[in-house]
Amino acid sequence: MKKHSSWISALMAAVMTLVLAVSWSQPAQASGTLKIGMEANYAPYNWTQTTSANGAVKIDGTSSYANGYDVKIAKIIAKKLGKKVIVEKTQWDGLLPALTSGKIDLIIAGMSPTAERRKAINFTSPYRTTNFVVIVNKQSKYAKAKYLTNFKGAKLTAQQGTLHYDLIKQLPGAKREPASKDFAAMRESLEAGTIDGYVAEDTELTSFQMMDSNITGVNLSKMKGFKVSSSDAEVSIGVKKGNDQLLSQVNKVLAGISTSERNKLMKEAVQQQPQTSTKKENWLVSMLKNYGQMILEGIGMTLLISLVGTIAGFFIGLLVGIVRTIPEPKNKFKKGLLAFCKWLLSVYVEIFRGTPMMVQAAVIYYGIAQFWHINLNRTVAALIIVSINTGAYLAEVIRGGIISTPKGQFEAASALGMTHNQRMWSIILPQAIRNCLPSITNEFIVNIKDTSVLSIISVSELFFVGSTIASQSFQFFQTYLVISVIYLFLTFTITRIFNLIEKHIEGPENYNMMVNQVQVGKQEGDK
Amino acid sequence: MADYKDNEIILNVQHLQKAYGKHQVLKDISFEVHKGKVMTVIGPSGGGKSTMLRCINLLEDPTGGEILFHDQNILDENYNIPRYRSKVGMVFQQFELFENKNVLQNCMIGQELVLKRSKEEAKKIALENLKTVGMDPYIDAKPRQLSGGQKQRVAIARAISMNPEILLFDEPTSALDPEMVGEVLETMKKLAKTGLTMIVVTHEMAFAKEVSDQVLFMSDGYVAEHGSPDEIFNHPQSEKTQKFLANFRGPQI
Repeated sequence: MKKHSSWISALMAAVMTLVLAVSWSQPAQASGTLKIGMEANYAPYNWTQTTSANGAVKIDGTSSYANGYDVKIAKIIAKKLGKKVIVEKTQWDGLLPALTSGKIDLIIAGMSPTAERRKAINFTSPYRTTNFVVIVNKQSKYAKAKYLTNFKGAKLTAQQGTLHYDLIKQLPGAKREPASKDFAAMRESLEAGTIDGYVAEDTELTSFQMMDSNITGVNLSKMKGFKVSSSDAEVSIGVKKGNDQLLSQVNKVLAGISTSERNKLMKEAVQQQPQTSTKKENWLVSMLKNYGQMILEGIGMTLLISLVGTIAGFFIGLLVGIVRTIPEPKNKFKKGLLAFCKWLLSVYVEIFRGTPMMVQAAVIYYGIAQFWHINLNRTVAALIIVSINTGAYLAEVIRGGIISTPKGQFEAASALGMTHNQRMWSIILPQAIRNCLPSITNEFIVNIKDTSVLSIISVSELFFVGSTIASQSFQFFQTYLVISVIYLFLTFTITRIFNLIEKHIEGPENYNMMVNQVQVGKQEGDK
Repeated sequence: MADYKDNEIILNVQHLQKAYGKHQVLKDISFEVHKGKVMTVIGPSGGGKSTMLRCINLLEDPTGGEILFHDQNILDENYNIPRYRSKVGMVFQQFELFENKNVLQNCMIGQELVLKRSKEEAKKIALENLKTVGMDPYIDAKPRQLSGGQKQRVAIARAISMNPEILLFDEPTSALDPEMVGEVLETMKKLAKTGLTMIVVTHEMAFAKEVSDQVLFMSDGYVAEHGSPDEIFNHPQSEKTQKFLANFRGPQI
């Protein structure tokens, strides 16, 4: 029996993903630009806004803008170096890997140069020195604290992965609550009374007070016994180890910015940072007005990634499914090669089915950059990750579809003298795929929802957009309600569309012969 | 009537064996099929009739013996099996029409893919054969829209559209409702008269008696008796044949 062409498809399946990955890669660092990593969600250091007002800088890959103290500093540095600022919006936990993997040139994100971080990256001299405060309600008994011991029994928290959270240990008797993801959530918790306070820098206090006059801060830095190494009270710019030229260049620029200029910039930033609107406007109207464009783009990105990912994943799955069902050849060499291919593919399926897509995203996006110095565009990375992941699931679905096609269909095709390939392409696959259609729809729906985990590599899909809006408008419930309604609308529409497609393929239950047409039409009308 | 043995031998099966593990289904089967003649295979269930038929077009791999097609052993390693199968048609008990194709496409696909006939030619031949089996009004129907008898007639049209040298029938009426058996048997009789070489595994004794040129009685993996319909049905020699046929005495024969 001839099986040559199925052999070619075997190799194709294995190689395709690699080719895709390499062909879309970009050069690691363009010389005329300075890529700055920040959360764009940490006012007044950095935040996201929808317009270019107050000298905001466009965020790479979106139509939103970033502004804040960090952006102002970044612009001064870039100007002195003769480069253009590009803001790479990156989640806090993703900043260090982004820098070490060369996806960004500098971290300017209100980051303290802790000893732990110094192990991974270098820091410039500080571009701001801060006081630490515990932010509490004015009526709280802790508002009048004079000593570190006055916080006994207080439920305190701080941002996850920051120095602030460790500082709570210096307050004897304070209850350290689980760390929070961002300031917006802590503000919410404080107002809701689920915590007594949270540790932060004085800038956070200033900006929070602009919105809520009912809160106050207790300055820890002046209390007796409070120990913060000078480096911890400072915020510095992160530079990749080994990039000494850039480090000294940035230090030189920073030395030229006086303390009074720094204070002026910070004051500007605090005033310019986004405020929750005080007007009595319907929250939905104001959300759509302020963030409608961002939401639309988020929907577009989610649909793009899930649609392309599902289609590409389907073809990957088809190839893998076909290769894994090739009957054993008689030739010994071919037999060995096929067994090896099948083993390789089963490893692929097991790995990508057996690990969370979130982890795969982080490993692929940062790993490829760190070890092979290939800087993938994050949208491209997202497409690849979703495709490969979907491919692993659909490979099994399609294999199941092939196996469950009645044996008689194979035999009837064989009895006509068809080769394995002819059997597969004209008889078995059309039936298998048709039977797999519900599972493929399912996978598409799952993809629409699961693209939300790609926020780990800061792809601005719907969920990522939603969390940005929530943290900036402080309307957590409302924002996520809107986002979930959008998700439901998308998945529901897609389910309907696929149901129609299935029905169309299935055709009518009864065969209408020309002579019977009138009669049958009438019967259907009666139903 | 001239003896069927005067015709040229197309298929020669010698000492065919088939075992599944230790279970020997076919122990020693030998027979010859002559051009233009009809051979029916009868015998009790579990006697290996279907397995024997499936061995002939290699849906099952024989574990011993020889199958000679025009004096060439089809079990040789380099024998072109797809080409051989295209010359040996098969009609299945469960019809096995391609579910993703309509009636016409079912009859065309093999011609186009295997025989490399043009679409027009394939269509012409398919339509002719569908007409022969009386299914030409249903060319656009999907298999699941047809009754069992209709499906089996389409399956026959599909098989003869390949212009096979031999057509194998594996209990073609066993899965049919009683009222549909007749239409399929009539179609088969019509085919037999055209001079098509046929091997029919069946439980329809009246049909076997009427249409066959030779009858093979199989039991327990052996050919228990082998002869003309008159010899088998009217003067059975083997005790097993006599016992088997006794069950069918009555209105049928």
